[in-house]
Amino acid sequence: MSYLLLVPILAPLVAAGLAALLGWRRLTAYVTLAAAFAVLLSGAILVHRVESGAVFAVGHLLRADSLTVTMLLVMGTVGTLATWASVGYIDAELRDGHTDRAGAHLYAVLLPLFLAAMALAVVANNIGVMWVAIEATTVATAFLVGHRRTRAAFEAAWKYVVICSVGIALALLGTVLLYFVSLHAGASSAHALDIDTLLNNAAQLDPDVTRLAAGLLLLGYGAKAGLVPFHTWLADAHSQAPAPVSALMSGVLLSVAFASLLRVKSVVDLTLGTGFLRAGLLVVGLLTVLIAASLLVVQTDFKRMLAYSSMENMGLVAIAAAAGTKLAIAALLLHVLAHGIGKSLVFLAAGQLQAAHDSTAISAVTGVLTRSRLVGVAFAVGLAVLIGLPPFAMFASELSIARALAGANLGWVLGATLLLLTIAFASLVRNGSRMLLGPPQPDAPTIALPGTVAAAMVTGIILSLALGLSAGPLTALFQSAATQLGASS
Amino acid sequence: MSLATYTGVLDLTAGAFLLAAVLIVWRRELRSIVHLLAWQGVALAAIPLTEGLYEGNPGPVIVGLVVLVLRAGVLPVLLLRAVGTADAERRESTPLVNTTSSLLITAALTMLAYAVTRPIIALDQAAATRAVPAAFAVILIALFVMVSRRRALSQAVGFLMLDNGITATAFLITGGVPLIVELGASMDVLFAVFVLGLLTGHMRRAFGGTDLDQLRELRD
Amino acid sequence: MSALSIVAAVLQVVVVLVGAPFVVGGMRQVRARLEGRAGGGVGQPWRDLRKQLRKQQVTPRGTTLVFAVAPAIAAGTTLLIAAILPIFALGSPLDSVADLFGVVGLLFLGTVALTLAGLDTGTAFGGMGSSREITIAALVEPTILLAVFALSIPGQSANLSAIVSATLDNPGQVFSLGSVLAFVALVIVIIAETGRLPVDNPSTHLELTMIHEAMVLEYAGPKLALVEWASGMRLTVLLALLANLFLPWGIAGADPSLLAVLIGVVAIAVKVSVLAGLLAAGEVFIAKLRYFRVPELLSGSFLLALLAVTASYFLATPTR
Repeated sequence: MSYLLLVPILAPLVAAGLAALLGWRRLTAYVTLAAAFAVLLSGAILVHRVESGAVFAVGHLLRADSLTVTMLLVMGTVGTLATWASVGYIDAELRDGHTDRAGAHLYAVLLPLFLAAMALAVVANNIGVMWVAIEATTVATAFLVGHRRTRAAFEAAWKYVVICSVGIALALLGTVLLYFVSLHAGASSAHALDIDTLLNNAAQLDPDVTRLAAGLLLLGYGAKAGLVPFHTWLADAHSQAPAPVSALMSGVLLSVAFASLLRVKSVVDLTLGTGFLRAGLLVVGLLTVLIAASLLVVQTDFKRMLAYSSMENMGLVAIAAAAGTKLAIAALLLHVLAHGIGKSLVFLAAGQLQAAHDSTAISAVTGVLTRSRLVGVAFAVGLAVLIGLPPFAMFASELSIARALAGANLGWVLGATLLLLTIAFASLVRNGSRMLLGPPQPDAPTIALPGTVAAAMVTGIILSLALGLSAGPLTALFQSAATQLGASS
Repeated sequence: MSLATYTGVLDLTAGAFLLAAVLIVWRRELRSIVHLLAWQGVALAAIPLTEGLYEGNPGPVIVGLVVLVLRAGVLPVLLLRAVGTADAERRESTPLVNTTSSLLITAALTMLAYAVTRPIIALDQAAATRAVPAAFAVILIALFVMVSRRRALSQAVGFLMLDNGITATAFLITGGVPLIVELGASMDVLFAVFVLGLLTGHMRRAFGGTDLDQLRELRD
Repeated sequence: MSALSIVAAVLQVVVVLVGAPFVVGGMRQVRARLEGRAGGGVGQPWRDLRKQLRKQQVTPRGTTLVFAVAPAIAAGTTLLIAAILPIFALGSPLDSVADLFGVVGLLFLGTVALTLAGLDTGTAFGGMGSSREITIAALVEPTILLAVFALSIPGQSANLSAIVSATLDNPGQVFSLGSVLAFVALVIVIIAETGRLPVDNPSTHLELTMIHEAMVLEYAGPKLALVEWASGMRLTVLLALLANLFLPWGIAGADPSLLAVLIGVVAIAVKVSVLAGLLAAGEVFIAKLRYFRVPELLSGSFLLALLAVTASYFLATPTR
């Protein structure tokens, strides 16, 4: 039964192998969809098994606890939506000549590899393996970002690989230092980097070197999570990648990287107390929200606007992690899930708008609601989720984060965050309404909507509403994740 | 091998490792930068080789040989092939920081590396650990090279140097990370360089050059 | 302190005085032969000096005392360095001041005297030469300090005799990393300090390129002889310092016998000749650096010296 942990890694790998053999076909696309759904299912089955504690598999190589399951659910949900929409999206790209058979083949192989790497990152017990998996996502997505093979796409891919690789290299250095202190705390070299070993030995780790390691890990995984100071790749990569890939990167990759940071935090907090990483997370979180909000104000490109909204949300997640209470961690996880689904919706809609207008300028798009009801509604619902309107789940999560901040005596942070969120809110509403409402231009192109994309959108809208009305059994899962991460009540 | 010889060889290796980084900052011909990177790879490989020979342990010796092939052979050759095609690009035309300032900054970074690594040395007084500031200095210098150089190839060299520095740190303070992590990390680096190489080729075809100053289309 | 150490110290000054023009002449001869010329012979600088010394003293109008005494200060400081350095024997009577900071200070004093004299003439060339010379000196002096400091760490003393005897006691440390880096840094700064290629070309009088020669352009007759003699002695003394810091073998001990002093004289003569020959041979193959590239070279050597310090200080074998 514990071999269930292998499913999220192996299912996408099988899909990738099949795609490598057969190229871009209906069959391989649906196998990838099935693999993404398998990730979701394995997460759902595991929900109850991890309540009482971590589950191990394949020796001590793989490990699942409530955080793992939460991330598998996010990955499965967004992955299902994104791979489903990919079918129609890539067919349309092929038809419009934006890509060729070789490009589609590469896409078919890399997308499931990307999923497999992310799955490995969340189920790895060894933080060294976790690092390898996170770096592997960079390698796998480089050509997904450069998929369109335009000048801008290559530019984005180059910046993405260079900045993320440098950032993540710092995390490797931090990992090496953790290994060093773990060995000095008496761990055997084979298990020194295992999460359970580190948690058990946390009190014996040398605080000075651990502080250095924690700083490097925060910067390194922060780079991959779109946090300051290595955030500059994010907008470029998200705006140039194909819409389903943008949805996966924004909705899942950022939060997987952040989940790695939470893992590290659970160890480091035991060694250094909560103060050190709280200060670090608050600084990078507030700066990230600040930069994202100010760039949202001046944004003229709708895909970049969505990218900065992701940055803003990751900054908020970092601030919630800084608060660190059980309430804050549980709210953070709900926030990540809701954001993943909402972001998929807006990115999928944005992909269709981009395909119709051959442009991503906000000024080029008007009257979407009257021109295509479903694309318009999906975009509107996604935006409503992202800006935290009730009844959607991010309203509840943001409220809980606010309460947690107030409870953790971080009133000034709460004030600053609320101010910045209001600015971001205003910009998103202003740009969103300009695109959605109003009369369409007389020569506006028709917005094509392939069936699979439509299906993914409808599913996403239903999921968003459902999650908003009741988080249901997930609440218990998030609570248990917060407890297992050692959050104070 | 006696302790004194071991310490001497280790210090010489760590110093050569750092010296290669300094010379990479100094030189501007792309070809000689890549050659220096290969020499740095040799110095890197010498660390586990020395440790293995001193302790009579075959494990590090094998790791050292693999590192030698990869860092001093395969990766520089891949990079050289990227340089070889375009004659016009053999020099780092106008770096953002002139050479004199770069060298002085390098000096400051070296001092910083000694300051930063003090807790590590405090924890373990072994000869190998005492050489870890050299590895940290290489990491800092590599970051500086990455932000101050404008050629795609120089940035790739900076990235590899960064990775060399981290690997050296791992060898020096822990005698190498667990094999699975080491293998995974090496594969990732290899793939990353491969991806960078392919992107360089694509970019040259798209822009007619690899001057990263031309990457100005995407910004806010 | 024995009488012989005093003899040795006096002998050092005399031999440097007499030998310096031969070192310069030897280097010119090596260059000439390698370039396919017959050359003027090793004694040519001496013949030049004799000719200059016989000439009438001419002083440019408007120059002051600064111009008049600068050559004497340059020559005097160099002679003082020659007296206190451990060249033939350790433990000279002036050993207590044979401190690295003192030597660097004396070197700089000579440089400053000549730059002031260059400014004193009020001509365009003099000012240009002085400005360039002082720019280079500003980069050179800290490098010498750092490099010798790196070498002083194993001996745990800034006293030059102590450094040399520490190297004698423990020959292995010459091949340590700090020592090798310091050697490279010192070679570069000695080349810069003595105005050799690739930093300055001693045989050019081309307006755009000369540095040292521009500064002393207004000197003629006996004063010019003194300036050239001083620069020759400077080169000799620095080469001797380099030789004894890294290859001290042959130098007489603190309480030498006559034979030991003689061996010391012969040893240093051989070492300096070889170094000077190598330097001259190297110059044949390189071109002068453009002036604005010189700071690159010197900051590079500064960095090497800094690395030498860090290497000897931090990588030193732990005492346990």
